Amino acid sequence: NGVAVLPAPQNLSVHSTNMKHLLTWSPVILPGEMTFYSVEYQGEYESLYTSHVWIPSSSCSPTNGSECDITDDITATVPYNLRVRTTRDSQTSAWSTLEHPFNRNSTVLMPPRMEVTKDGFHLVLELEDLGPQFEFLVVYWRREPGAKEHAKVVRRGGIPVHLETMDAGAAYCVKAQALVKTIGRHSAFSQAKCVEVQGESLPL
Amino acid sequence: ELRTLRLGSCVITANLQAIRNVFSEIRDSVQARDENIDMRILRNTGSLQDTKPSDRCCLLRHLLRLYLDRVFKNYQTSDHHTLRIISNLANSFLTIKKDLGICHDHMTCHCGKEATEKYRQILHHFEELEPQAAVVKALGELNILLRWMEEM
Repeated sequence: NGVAVLPAPQNLSVHSTNMKHLLTWSPVILPGEMTFYSVEYQGEYESLYTSHVWIPSSSCSPTNGSECDITDDITATVPYNLRVRTTRDSQTSAWSTLEHPFNRNSTVLMPPRMEVTKDGFHLVLELEDLGPQFEFLVVYWRREPGAKEHAKVVRRGGIPVHLETMDAGAAYCVKAQALVKTIGRHSAFSQAKCVEVQGESLPL
Repeated sequence: ELRTLRLGSCVITANLQAIRNVFSEIRDSVQARDENIDMRILRNTGSLQDTKPSDRCCLLRHLLRLYLDRVFKNYQTSDHHTLRIISNLANSFLTIKKDLGICHDHMTCHCGKEATEKYRQILHHFEELEPQAAVVKALGELNILLRWMEEM
């Protein structure tokens, strides 16, 4: 009757970068057939109002790896409890629960990758597509003493954005930071990248 | 896209479009289970827009509490996808209710006679129905509540 005889997974932890959340644990090594795991979660609502309710992860119930992308399960900015157990045929282990609830507002926000190019005299930027939750603050300037910085909010990555029409012989620089409104945070600025109308992209 | 809700002196932001997108995944199946199609729990007369601004925060707070205390937790389903969607909705509503709680702490979520009376009527409509039927209808009417919030 599936009494807990299998060892439970250990060392659960969540690694979250740019709103992609990965739950990992130490694999359970058993002789013979493959070992599977089941992942379940409960948001703050469940823990407050229906603490007996745990929800199977959308992508890891079951899974045979020792990690689970829980990004699609973590859908609100509230603490989430997470648990994993080992399963094999009808046998299951006890549940191992993440020591501290995970909240997506703790995600590590990295500066976005970007490509700065010129199309004739047009300064064009393409930012990394980090998904629908991200916007970007882009700052660009003409590289000369006392130059004024211009700022622009770009709603979505992955599409070329025209920033400026450049003057011949001048160099222009661009930097960007990622913004996530749902958690009210932003990344550091990326390193600036510059182009010169007749030159190639010049790192600072 | 975060939206600003102006509820009298209480101003909060919420990602209503994301919530609407999520709800749309189960709306038809939930509404199909509603057998009481000749009545409504959330009626225009009790709407947020039809409520004076200073009472809107209180009315919304009562409504969110109704959904959190009596709707989401009592909706019976064995379907895991529906369970995940309801968890998403419930935790999103919980976030909004916390923001309204901050307004309440700052005395900007006053419960006047109008809010109290309108909520009493909504609760009456809810309790007129058999419990699970009321839960099904209220969940099916979530798009009405979202529309009320979008118009704040």
